Amino acid sequence: MVAYLIRRLINAVVTLLVVTLVTFGVFFLVPKATGSDPALLYIGKQADPVAVEGIRTKLGLNDPIIVQYWKFLKGIVAGRDYANGPDITHCSAPCLGYTFKTNQEVWPILIHALPVTVSLAIGAAIIWVLMGVIFGVISALRRGSIWDRSVMTIALAGVSLPIYFTGLLALTIFVYGLEWLPNADYTPFFDNPVKWFTGLLMPWVTLAFLFAATYARLTRANMLETLGEDYIRTARAKGLKERTVIGKHGLRSGLTPLVTVFGLDLGALLGGAILTEAVFNLRGLGYWALNGIRTNDLPTILGVTLFAAFFIVIMNLIVDLLYGVIDPRVRLG
Amino acid sequence: MSLGPETSLHDESTPTADAAQERDTSEKAIAGRSLKQIAWRRLKKDRVAVGGGIVILVLIAIAILAPLLIKLLGHPFDEYHNDKIDPTLSLPLGKLGGISKDFLLGVEPVNGRDIFSRIVYGAQTTLTVAFLSAFLSTILGVLFGMSAGFLGGWVDSVISRIMDFLLAFPQLLFSIALVSVLPQSMLGFNTRWSRTIVLIVVIGFFGWPYIGRIVRGQTLSLREREFVEASRSLGARSPRILFREMLPNLAAPILVYTTLIIPTNILTEAALSFLGVGIPPPYPSWGGMLSDALQFYRYDPMFMIIPGAMIFITVLAFNLFGDGLRDALDPKAR
Amino acid sequence: MAGKTKVMLAATAALTLGLTAACGGGSDDNKSDDSSSGTGAAFNASATKVVNASDKKGGTLNLWSPQDADSFDPAISYYAWTINMNRLYSRTLMTYTPKPGADGLILTPDLASAAPEVSADGKTYTFKLKSGLKFDDGAAITSKDIKYGIERIFAQDVVPGGPLYLTDELDQGQKYPGPYKDTDPNKLGLKTVETPDDSTIIFKLANANANFPYELALPGGAPVPQKRDTGAKYGLAPASSGPYKFESIEPGKGATLVRNTNWDASTDTVRKALPDKITLTITTNAEDMDSRLLAGTADMDASQSGVATQARTQILTDEKLKANAANPNNGFIRYAAISQNVAPFNNIECRKAVVYASDPTTLQTARGGPVAGGDIATNMLPPNILGADKSYDPYGRAQGKPQADKAKEALTACGQPNGFATKIAVRNNKPAEIATATALQAALKAVNINATIEQYDGSQIATVVGSPNNVHKKGYGIMIAGWGADFPTGYGYLAPLASSKFLVANGNYNLPEIKDQAIDDLFAKGLAEKDATAAGTDYQEANKKVMDGFYYLPFVFDKALNYYNPRLTNVYFHSGLAMVDFASLGVSDGK
Repeated sequence: MVAYLIRRLINAVVTLLVVTLVTFGVFFLVPKATGSDPALLYIGKQADPVAVEGIRTKLGLNDPIIVQYWKFLKGIVAGRDYANGPDITHCSAPCLGYTFKTNQEVWPILIHALPVTVSLAIGAAIIWVLMGVIFGVISALRRGSIWDRSVMTIALAGVSLPIYFTGLLALTIFVYGLEWLPNADYTPFFDNPVKWFTGLLMPWVTLAFLFAATYARLTRANMLETLGEDYIRTARAKGLKERTVIGKHGLRSGLTPLVTVFGLDLGALLGGAILTEAVFNLRGLGYWALNGIRTNDLPTILGVTLFAAFFIVIMNLIVDLLYGVIDPRVRLG
Repeated sequence: MSLGPETSLHDESTPTADAAQERDTSEKAIAGRSLKQIAWRRLKKDRVAVGGGIVILVLIAIAILAPLLIKLLGHPFDEYHNDKIDPTLSLPLGKLGGISKDFLLGVEPVNGRDIFSRIVYGAQTTLTVAFLSAFLSTILGVLFGMSAGFLGGWVDSVISRIMDFLLAFPQLLFSIALVSVLPQSMLGFNTRWSRTIVLIVVIGFFGWPYIGRIVRGQTLSLREREFVEASRSLGARSPRILFREMLPNLAAPILVYTTLIIPTNILTEAALSFLGVGIPPPYPSWGGMLSDALQFYRYDPMFMIIPGAMIFITVLAFNLFGDGLRDALDPKAR
Repeated sequence: MAGKTKVMLAATAALTLGLTAACGGGSDDNKSDDSSSGTGAAFNASATKVVNASDKKGGTLNLWSPQDADSFDPAISYYAWTINMNRLYSRTLMTYTPKPGADGLILTPDLASAAPEVSADGKTYTFKLKSGLKFDDGAAITSKDIKYGIERIFAQDVVPGGPLYLTDELDQGQKYPGPYKDTDPNKLGLKTVETPDDSTIIFKLANANANFPYELALPGGAPVPQKRDTGAKYGLAPASSGPYKFESIEPGKGATLVRNTNWDASTDTVRKALPDKITLTITTNAEDMDSRLLAGTADMDASQSGVATQARTQILTDEKLKANAANPNNGFIRYAAISQNVAPFNNIECRKAVVYASDPTTLQTARGGPVAGGDIATNMLPPNILGADKSYDPYGRAQGKPQADKAKEALTACGQPNGFATKIAVRNNKPAEIATATALQAALKAVNINATIEQYDGSQIATVVGSPNNVHKKGYGIMIAGWGADFPTGYGYLAPLASSKFLVANGNYNLPEIKDQAIDDLFAKGLAEKDATAAGTDYQEANKKVMDGFYYLPFVFDKALNYYNPRLTNVYFHSGLAMVDFASLGVSDGK
């Protein structure tokens, strides 16, 4: 078990390294290949040669790419020093560097953005899991009924709707039309829990609708498959109550595959819900990702990619460990 | 299937992470040729799927006949009609975003371009990207999946590692980044088609591991089966076994999964256009129209609803048809 | 093209009296000729006079902005609105007079006790400082602090991004590396600036330059106490010489300014300093900010970039809201530059064809229409710069229609009777520019000029269209751009666009690559002119020569529709700052 864990952790670290390497490569090599000078991306209105050279020194663009990458890695593990005019600033580990554009430390920016994305993702996840599983199980039990058909139709529609469309519809109807909800906004939970809730309600519901649809379909399919298995028939034949059969045996193995999917979805979402954050103007990791790409801010892009990959890798690991607990057939080792 | 976190990542059709959990679809392999007939009969009976199929055919027809349709019913997609626009507010004159006999779906704010024409041309882009990227994913997925499953050993470990890595990659983020740094026109194509090619390649590339995993799993189980063993003992070479014996047996799952990644690809293409890295103006795309509508949705909701509804209808049609197809080919899923 | 985000500067602003209503619509813009100040707002009243004049102190001014500040470090600040914000906490030797109309274009002494003494050859400027000037920590402000502040701009490897006029002017071959690498023990090694005593500062220029006082009025000319200089981090806690000091600055979130008790009102004739506190909130949600403005929970958009489309509709369809809004010309012209080194535009007739084929109205609509976009531009000097003449319309654009006949004639004269193909280059991050590019493309198609639009990464402007070599290589015949001057003079506006002196390998703004000795001579003549009106005439002559060459196709004289909370006092459009003067604002309810 310990050996397994160590192996998985090493794997995770390697994956993260490769992600940063690929990102670094793409954002340094592609501009180079297309013949543009990275320093000129960050220059102001006056591209005076002195200013260009200044920028190059400031951003460390004079070093070979390998050296720049090495410094980046070193910054994460041990921190790094930046010349700052009158003195030297130490950016302590984990240091993701300073944004090229605004000269702010990337790590605190992302740490501040994290609660927004986490609030958004967790809140939506609670709604979609509850809704998805409940509707899916009922549909499976009443297979073929009007209920089943209408739920599945709505679910299929939900799967087919782009979130930036449902988001805009929700804004038009609930914020500007009926004026039931305030515009989406993030207030830290500890500042004002009520505002936190009302400000995030619409993004939660919009995001959850999409996922709930998927989960309802998934739950239904898994339940149907499980209910057709021999051991369920055996349980029924033994005269167990239907409630016990469904609750204890059916649900358990019917929902196990959901864990994997949930882990991956949540992992992907925690790395930044780019579209949802764009539609509702929330400043989470997804916002910074888009912002970084649009302003060519390599440190921000690297930071966000690293965060996103981290969540995906970690959730993968958690899911696999959980499997060992939930599903006795799976042995880790 | 370069999926964003907020496109529907997992449907019951999507392979789960653990190969052991894949639904055993080997029955249909045994059914052999007659499966086609059985499936076709089943599919015909599934009215919802047939409905989806018809919508798809209509959309394809619209995309192909776009120039003709516009000649008959619309205006050139890049033609300005400033007389249809309120100059102070930039909004279309008339109700419902300027819908009239002349402009079947109204006009765009600011420039008065014919929304009908732009939707029709948008269908071209959307379907081209969706089909070709699905095709690319399938080719790559089958190639690598079969190699991994059939050859095993280090080839399998390398390919599996790459697939794992790609799945753990922040894909939407990376697609945006990649598309935005690539040049707008290349290989002698105009900006519309070169960007279309870029989208196909990026979406197709991130989609192959999904197919690859399925194919690898299927190949692994097929490799041990009697008919393959038999063929091998008769002295058949690997390529022959791969293409003559195994590929036909993989056709059904490949077809189903290809159909089911098309709707996801449509959503991804629209998302990229929505985020401003899709088809460049003046060429229309549905996602791009939705993105333009962001500025106007409160006072001109039709401009948002029309492209949104088109995306919805198209994706829904593919989902319905794909579901039906899977059910027809795999009775167990019912 | 107003550097990417570095949106222009204090500029050429709306010359207000007589700022006429748009051509083709919205003609009731500007009825009030009454230049006296008063209450009772009316649409665009603040463009020409002080609205809600008051001396009531107290309360909190709530500024919002959908765009983050570039920096509050005076050496870096280059956005028009951060330059405006700078006036709240940093003072310069000279600054713009706080008055509406053309008066705002004139500089007035601020830290200096009087206008500088200029030597006969125009090369030496001597300033004397007022007495009793103090920083927020009580330390006296000396001429050495001003010199040190200017020296910081030279440290481009530490504080890059601000305007470089002063460094260009003052380096004179010294290659001064900035104070951080200065070998002088007092870090005052810049030779062209002398500080014989604490209240005297002398600048020695290489050539006479009538613009020099304007260059000193940029925030970079503000004093910085050396012992409080934190280099790259100075923008997070700048020293204050003005009536307010920063209580906090959170990049990306906002800032709070409170009264600087060491500021002495008797030394300052420019700032009213009415509110007790000023807060700045940065938001990403422009729509939400607009709703707050209209609801009165936010006082003003500090970036003054204009409300978003939906709020515009709301304001223009509601008379009450409209009365608190204004849309003065902000000194920008939006235009297309036609490269004379990309075939077939080496032939003036082909340039003419593009100019006449364009549709002035669709271009104006693409910019946002007459109210929120701007008036149809007729030439290349904004109407508010001294010497400009809006009625000078050589291309016949004001009538609002394309001139297909003239365009076809020109095509024939150019030897391309069947039209030709070309490329329009446009930044991908400016929706309105993309809209104008598509509008132009559609109009050109009518005379068989087939233009393809090439969008490029807007942040790479300096190397894409700003590099003549690249323009030739890529074959960009037409480039969409916009420009506002750093100084409200004809030189400040037009020289970077039309003088061969400004033609550089990267970061070039003279996109058509105009090299015309006659034009260069006119600029030189204007610069040496002692009388501003005479200089204005020279610049207008230069403008005429530029127009004669068909190098630029002007789209609109830019406007932005802004909304002001009715509780704001002393609201007026400042011509020199090209936006409402923040330093005069107050709140009427004292909250």
